[in-house]
Parts: sequence; structure tokens; C-alpha cells
Amino acid sequence: MRVAFSTDCEHDVSSFTEQLEQLQAETIADISRILTAAELTELEREVLGGKGKLTTLMRQLGSLSAKERPEAGRESNRVKQEITTLFTERQAELQGIELTSRLESERIDVTLPGREPQIGVIHPVFQMIEELSDIFALMGFQTVFGREVESGYYNFDQLNIPADHPARDVWDTFLVESDGAEIVLRTHTSPMQARVMEQTSPPVRVIVPGRAYRYEAQDASHEWMFHQLEGLAVDEHITLADLKGVLQELARQLFGPRRKIRFRCDFFPFVEPGVDFAVDCAICDGAGCRVCKHSGWLEMGGAGMVHRRVLEAVGYDADKYSGFAFGLGIERMVMMRQGVDDVRAFAGNDLRFLRQFAARAAGARSVAA
Amino acid sequence: MRVPLKWLDEFVQPGVDASELARRLTLAGLEVEKIDIVGDGWDKVFTAHVNNVERHPDADRLVLADVEAGEHRLTVVTGAPNIAAGQKVVLALAGARLIDGHSDSGEYKTLKPGKIRGITSEGMVCSEKELGMSDEHEGILVLPHDAPVGLPLQQYLGDTVLEFEITPNLAHDFSVLGIAREVGALYHKPLSEPARIDLAGIPAASEELVTIEAPELCARYVAAVINGITIGPSPEWMARRLQQAGVRSINNVVDVTNYVMLEYGQPLHAFDYDRLQGNRIVVRRAEDGEMLETLDHVERTLDSGMLVIADAVRSIALAGVMGGTDTEVSDHTTTVLLEGANFDMKSVRRTSRLLKLRSDASARFERGVDPNLAGTGIARALELFQEVCQGAEIVAVSDVYPAPAQPRSLTMPFDRIEWLIGKAFPKSEVERVLTDLDFQPVISGNQLTVTIPTYRQDVSIPEDIVEEVGRVLGYDQVPATLPVGQTVPVVRDPNYQLQTRLRQVLTASGLSEAVTYITASGTMLSSFATEDNLVGVLTPRPLDSLLKLVNPLNAERPYLRNTLLPALLESVAANLRHQRRVGLFELARVYLPNGRNELPIEVQTLGIVLAGQRDELDRFASNESIDFYDLKGIVDAALHQVGVTGVTYEPTEAPGLHPGRAARILAGDRVIGIIGELHPETAATFGIEAIRVAAGEIDAEALVELSQPQKQAISAPRFLPVEQDLAVVVAESSPAADVEAALRNGAGPLLTGIVLFDEFRGPQIGEENKSLAYRLTFTSPGRALTDDDLIKVRGKIERTLKQVGGRLRV
Repeated sequence: MRVAFSTDCEHDVSSFTEQLEQLQAETIADISRILTAAELTELEREVLGGKGKLTTLMRQLGSLSAKERPEAGRESNRVKQEITTLFTERQAELQGIELTSRLESERIDVTLPGREPQIGVIHPVFQMIEELSDIFALMGFQTVFGREVESGYYNFDQLNIPADHPARDVWDTFLVESDGAEIVLRTHTSPMQARVMEQTSPPVRVIVPGRAYRYEAQDASHEWMFHQLEGLAVDEHITLADLKGVLQELARQLFGPRRKIRFRCDFFPFVEPGVDFAVDCAICDGAGCRVCKHSGWLEMGGAGMVHRRVLEAVGYDADKYSGFAFGLGIERMVMMRQGVDDVRAFAGNDLRFLRQFAARAAGARSVAA
Repeated sequence: MRVPLKWLDEFVQPGVDASELARRLTLAGLEVEKIDIVGDGWDKVFTAHVNNVERHPDADRLVLADVEAGEHRLTVVTGAPNIAAGQKVVLALAGARLIDGHSDSGEYKTLKPGKIRGITSEGMVCSEKELGMSDEHEGILVLPHDAPVGLPLQQYLGDTVLEFEITPNLAHDFSVLGIAREVGALYHKPLSEPARIDLAGIPAASEELVTIEAPELCARYVAAVINGITIGPSPEWMARRLQQAGVRSINNVVDVTNYVMLEYGQPLHAFDYDRLQGNRIVVRRAEDGEMLETLDHVERTLDSGMLVIADAVRSIALAGVMGGTDTEVSDHTTTVLLEGANFDMKSVRRTSRLLKLRSDASARFERGVDPNLAGTGIARALELFQEVCQGAEIVAVSDVYPAPAQPRSLTMPFDRIEWLIGKAFPKSEVERVLTDLDFQPVISGNQLTVTIPTYRQDVSIPEDIVEEVGRVLGYDQVPATLPVGQTVPVVRDPNYQLQTRLRQVLTASGLSEAVTYITASGTMLSSFATEDNLVGVLTPRPLDSLLKLVNPLNAERPYLRNTLLPALLESVAANLRHQRRVGLFELARVYLPNGRNELPIEVQTLGIVLAGQRDELDRFASNESIDFYDLKGIVDAALHQVGVTGVTYEPTEAPGLHPGRAARILAGDRVIGIIGELHPETAATFGIEAIRVAAGEIDAEALVELSQPQKQAISAPRFLPVEQDLAVVVAESSPAADVEAALRNGAGPLLTGIVLFDEFRGPQIGEENKSLAYRLTFTSPGRALTDDDLIKVRGKIERTLKQVGGRLRV
């Protein structure tokens, strides 16, 4: 370019100014005509780039006379600044328009299903065990486990159920083949009472969740394999009223804050006094309905004060220490709370059944109708 | 046990209705399972008189009866063989609801007038079955001659019966009088007792009559000889009462024995005296192998642990369980020997169990009957004989009772009641309750002394007395408190913590938890059998060494399992019938034999089975089957999440698994699990058609031991990581684990991540080779890494790869 102009001897300032104004006018017109950011960038390069029109024109400043040069220089800088501003503003404007249009084109149907992670279900029995374990932990009870194949000694004798006593018939027992030793599938979680007390001295506060087995035909309300939860507290000042308090707390945590516990005299050889405990029906508030068979009460389990002979069998002083024990059926708790009407569903493992237990609401829930 | 309220009313009047009585008794430990209202549905059913009976003109077996009940007089067509003019019967009018007497369904139907062979029957004369009273449907129910006519049947025959479930400790409540005594105590009402003959006024029998040779099993034997007996039906009131109590009426003699048993709880037995050889009774142990035909016409083989009643020659009854046919009272009996005895509860229970023979008598003796009751029972029976057997004459009585039972006394601190129950009952109330219960309490300061009646064999320790007080005064008076005292630090069981964590991780991985039965068949277990006949997956054992139930519910499944997989596979198979993908796990014990007389080793084990499609069907689903790597990925994630690191996988051939797709999981040298795809034949055994089934078993207790405490956490590095992708060419047979180990070894401490992201096979790298592409991430905690660092590392990696026969692909 410089070569092109060098043929003329000296440039005339009016000619430079005209060119400058013409370029400005053309550029302003071009900017307003352009509709995309990419074209604008191209135009910007054509005008302001290293070899752009304005850049080229401004190189001619050097060939102007010293008198004319400052004025022409200021003028060209002004034009450059104005054009640059126009480009910047227009660029932002066009980008905004383009973004809006892109977002508009990307509209989706938010009601289509999402990519759902596959999440399984903890078995309702173990959900219940976990919940009970949490509830009792808050009352200072430790969760321990015991063996399922037991000796007759721990399953019966240590629990004041001597051989040849009719009480022993109450537990329909599975026997394991042996050469004389009495080996059984534990009929309850109670053998852990003696096992725990043998290992420790008072105070004792434990719960024992686990499987238990009874030799009985299956139907909607009988299952030969089920889960129980045993509770045991032994100390110097444990009373039946404490048992009632603990069980009432349990009932309220499970079934709602207004629930009450009822004790009914019952017989279990390893407690004296012995009771069974029921919670007032949450459906009818104890008035009587189909769920509670019109009694107003739902039986939860058996309990009582640990029998003197059970304490003495593990070497505790029964005149100094007293304790309570209770047992409840885990499946039964789930059935009561969620309205399951066939206990066989728990070992059925049908995913259509299990998946209903995926949702775990916070807080105590009431019995399903 | 069924107790008709009209019977109970003879002894005590609580002044409350049946449902309140049932509620109160239930709370006090006498559980009323059911309130049975006999005649509840007897609407439009009346006592009636049969005026006349004529033959049906068109049917040989039918008659036309002219029956009258008050204002109702109608003609009934009936086929009842026993109907006769002059009888008192039960008439049902149209609209009455009756059971269909000719079907076994027990369904009620509403009676409608209808034509039978051309003649309209306007009502029906009823059988016991039609009234729901018994199964008797051969003939109609004929009422006594003195029955009123036109009375609603509910008023004449109806009653309310309480059905009790008597717990094994309450022998003394196993009778109408026992319940009456409880009612008296609960409502503080006086008790009256039925009439009895005074035994002292009867001549004593010769000493020869009764000999007790086994006094350890027979505390007392009272025998009464009665002659002049005419066997016949019992009076209607007695038969009805027995029936309402659930006992069939047989004849007047047998009915008296049953009546007294129900009333007092003392079982009695009547022998035909003339059939006793030598006219004597010997109470002795049976001889081993001795035979006796019992009243149910079964020939029993006895042993010397069983007590029998014998005559001079042979055994004639199983003591306390059942009589024998030879000396059974028959229509020809004229002289009866009536037995009121006391037999040892354990012996009766043993006999009854061994012979699988239960009776109303054994149910009572097993619970323990008061020996003092034997004489009372005989005295009551003799009273009744005079009433129901015309001409009966009491000849003699023998009472062999070497050591009469005496009441025991018990002294305890009075405040033991509050100490145990947590509620202080007033002394006056305690005194009243114990008095009503016959304990003759004496309270002096803090000392409570009671005299325990001989029939209260369930009471022996202070806590028993506490229970008597509590159950009568009511546990609703007991407040609800929380235990006070020393706090026990709660130790969290690591096994339980691990199980809980595993449950969370595995369900988050898409598996659901199963609970399966612990018993298995030999066939199920043998699906995982080694060549040397061990069964099982992680813990194989000889099948015949496994624990086995003596009395399995399902005879085909007697074994206690040593693997969780068979039962899980059954559940998976069942679910695959309606599920696209099934992933189940179970945390349960396996039972490993430890010697025939020893308790087994129980090992908490994790079993997992996956089958079907990898993804549930949706827009994004891959439509690929699950395979080994799905399971391995889940296991790895689970192990990581429970703090178990550094395990290795090694190819293995495990029974039941795919020979080329199974691995042992090793922690050092210790095998802690086996995972693999199922052998197609094994899958077929369980009825699973899915192409691939992944299954595994892991020792959950080993995981507890291997679980590392959380490492100290460090801050995230300030400098960005540098990544480098390397493709390694190795022989096809080289395990990827070796390549990765070589890379780690070469990369050194700067390596903070390594991921295998591609596999490639092709002629460019040689047919026998594979190319594994890894992305390595390097990070230095203290500085930015340079190209120089990476060049050095790369050089080392090339050398370590050489050791496993690999090279970098350029």
C-alpha cells in the first residue's frame, strides 16, 4: 500500500479526511446490515484488522504534512474508537439474539421420563430391625446377635423350661440329628438371655434380633421361619412399670405418639409375672374395627419380669437384681404397620412385593387400613 | 376349654354380661378366645309338639307330620326315621336360617316352604346338625317329654359358652369350678360348690381291691364300686351340657365321669367291674412290650416308663390317658368300678407323647392335678350317679393315699410387690385378693405369709404371689416409667454395622434383599457339587456331613444349608417369570458341621445372584444381558464401601459355575469369596433360561476382619493432575491384572489414578495379542508436573511392561 501511495508526492489532507469519513459511513452502514456474529467478526477483521481498511488508511498519516498530521491523527483515532464501540455493541447484541434463538430451538418435553438409577430395596424385615435397633439404641440398648442352631440347654433348660414339662410342648421344635445331644433350631431369640448374662454382670441392656423357627404348618398367619426381637434389661431397680414405659415408647415410635400399651396376664416359663402386651389400634383409636378384630387392641408380643430361676441359673442374685424381658415378632410388626395380610410374603421374595417397601417415610406411621 | 355360662352360674354370679366377663378373665390370664352364643341364629325356631304322623301318599320314605308350636300349627313333610306322634321336637318356620343337613359345607340357608312330592311342607322339624349343635343328622332332635311347647328354642336350649385357651401352668383353672373360683376373686363374689356324697359314710372296700405298686407315679387312687346300674341315656340336661362343653354324650355312666371332669378338673374312669379279673386293681408300670387295646380300638405297645391300671392278670387302662376296650362299660354293665386317681404329670405326658394319644384326661394330668381332688371328684360322681342311674347302689370305697398333699406356706417381704411391679398396692387390697384366691394371707409389718392351696401347684416363689396380686388388681394400674440407674455404654456390633453398610451399598447398586428358607434338599445342594462329592460353593462339605433336621416340614428338604445360592436361585427363577432383570442378595448364616453332637459353625454369608437384562426397559436401555462383570463391579464397589481393599481375583473352576467365567476373591492367600457366571446346566436345574446368570458368595465375617479403619483424609492437591493415555500390547493370555500391576509399578508414587478404557484386537498388533488402553493420572502434592517427569515415568513403565511381555503401542 505504502508502495501504491509513494507514487504521489504529497497527500492532500482533505482527501484523507474524505476517505476517513467515507470509510466510517460505509462501515456504519455495513454493521447495521449484518445479521450474524460470525459475519460481523469478519467485517471487523476487514476494517480494523492488521490489513484492514482503517488500519491501511491510517498508515497514510505519515505522508501528511507536519502541520496537518495532528488534526488528521486525532480525527482518525476518533473514528477508530467509534467504529470499535459500534462493533462491540453490535457483537453483544447479535450474540444475545443468537443465544436466545439457540435456547428456543433446544426446548424439550420435561414430562418424558429421566434416566433413573436402579436402586434396590432392603428387605422389610431388616428395615424394621434397623428401625427397632435405632429406637432401642436411644434407650441405651445394645444390639447383639445369637446363634440359630442352639442346644436344648440354652433354648429351654436355662429358660426354666425343663424337659418333660408341658411348657416345652408349646414350642413346636425342629430337632437336628445328633448322637444324643439335644440340638434344635432356636424356637425364639430368648436363648441369648442366658448367653448374654453369662458373659456380663448387671447392668444389662440388650436387644437380640434374629431368625427363629417353629415346627408348624404354614398359612397366612403362620410361618415356620420368622424373625424375632428379644429385649432384656437387668439391674438393681428394674420394675414391670419400666417394662411398660419402654414398650410404650416403642409403640409410640412405631405407631404414633398417642398410642397406649396394655398388659394382659400371660404365661411364659422364663418370666414371672408374665404378660402379653398390646397396643391400642391406631386405625380406630381403640374403638374397635376390622383390623383389630373389634377388640381395640393389637397384640405385639410377650414380656415379663425375668424369672428368678433364669437369673439364678446364670449366677445373678435374684433378691438384689431384677429385670424385664420381652419378645416381639418382626414380621408381625411390619404386618401391623403396613397391613400385610400374609406372612408367607416375607420369604417369598417377589420383587413386586418387596418394591413396595422402597419408600421409607420419616417419623412414626400408623397402621395401614 | 368350653365353659357354658349357665353351668358357671350355678357356682358364682359376677353380675356382668358375657363380653365384660370375657374381657376381665382374659386380662387376668384366662384367655377367652371366643364367645360362642349357642342358638344365636335360632330365629323362627320353636319347641313343638307332634300331634300326628301319616304316611306320604306318594313316597314310601316320607311322612306328613302335623306339628304344633303355640299359635303355629302346620304340616311338615319329613324323611326323619325317628319322628313319632306325641314327641316334643324342634320346629323351624319359613324364614329360619338352618345348616344344610345333607351337605358338609356347613353353610346356612334360609328355609322356604316347598312342595315335596306334591304336598306342601310349611316348615321343618330339625336335626342337631341343622341347628348347628352337632354333626348328628340321621334323625331329628327329640326333646324331653317335659319340654314346654311354643317356646323360642333360644330360650329353651340356648346358652353362651366361653371358649378358653388355658396356658400350661394353670391346671387348677381347667374346669368350670376353676373358672368360677377366678370369677369369684375377680369380682369379689362368693363361690358355692356342687352337692357331693360324704365318702365317710360308705363302707370301706377290702384292702385287696386296690394296690399301688408304683407310688412314685401314682400319689393316690380312690375306687368306688357301684352296682345295680342300668346303662341308658343321660338326662337331657346333662347330655346338653356336655355337648355345649364339647364332649359327646355316650351313656349315663360315662357321662357322669366326663361331667365331673369338666366340673372339677378331676379325670375319672369307669371300669366294668365284672370284667376285672380277680376283681382287683393294680397300679403298676407296664412291662416292656406289653400290649393294650385302648378305647379308640388301637392296639398299643407299652414300655416300662408307662403307668398302667391292671387287674389281677393284665393291664386294663393306660393310667391317666385312656381306658382299655376289655373293661369298657357296655350296655350289659351292671356293676362299675369308678376310678378317681392322681397320676404323675411327667409320666402321663411321656406316655401320651410316645403313643401320640391325647385325651381330655391326659390334658389335665399333664398340667398337674391336685391329689386332694381325687376324693372330691369321686364324691361328686357318686352324688350324680344317684341322680342319673336309677337303682344304683354304692357298695364300697377304697382310698389309697399314702402321703396326702399338704398346703405349703411362703413368706416374703410385702414390699417385694412394689419392688417388682413399680406400684405400691394398699395392704388391704392385697389381703382381699389373696383371701379371695384362697391363700389365707397374713401381713405383719413388711412380712407377708401365705398358705398355698394344694391345687395351686403353679405357685412356689414370691414372684408368683406378686403376679396373683397384679393380675387381679389389674396391670392397667401399673404406671409407665423408664428405667433409671447406671447408663450402660452401648457397643455397636461390628458385624451388624457391616451388614447395615452392605445393605445400603448393595441396594444402591440395584439389588434387592431376599430372605430365603434355611433348609435345602440334597438335589438343590448337589447343583453345586465337586467331583469328589462335596456340595456347596464357598464352603463345600460332604452332603452327608451337613446338619439335618429330624422333623423337616418338607421331607425333601432336611438339610441346613452350607450355601445360600440354591435358595436365592429359586427366588430369582420365580421373579424372572415377571421381571426383565433380577438382582437379589441375602445376608444369612450358613451352617457348617462341627461334629455330630456339637453345635455347628454359623458363618454370616453374603449371597448375590443377578440375571436378565442389564437395564430396566426405558428409552436409554442397552438391551444387553448382565454378565460376570456386572457382578464383579458391584462386589468391588461393595468391598470398597465397607473398607476392604487390596483383594485380588483369580480364575477358578467352581462347581456349578461356568468353567471360564468364575473367580476366587482373595485377601492375601485367604479365599473370602467366589463369584462367577452360572454353568448353563446349573441354571437350567433351577429353571432359569436367561443366557447369563451371575452368582457369588462372600464370607461376610471375613469382611469384618479385613475392614480397615478410615484413613486420615488429606486436602485436595493444589496442582492440577496430568493425564496420559497409554495403549499396551500384550499376549491375549496375559491377565489384565498383571498389566495393571506393571503399570502401577512403573508409574510410581506420582500415579493417582488408572482406568482401563478400551480393549482392541486386530491384525495390526498380531492375532495372538490384545491392546489395552489405559488413562493414567499423575498428581504431585507439591508442584506442577513437567514433561520431563512424564518422560522419566514412561521409561520406567516400558521396562516394567517388558517383565509381563508387554510393550507400548505407538
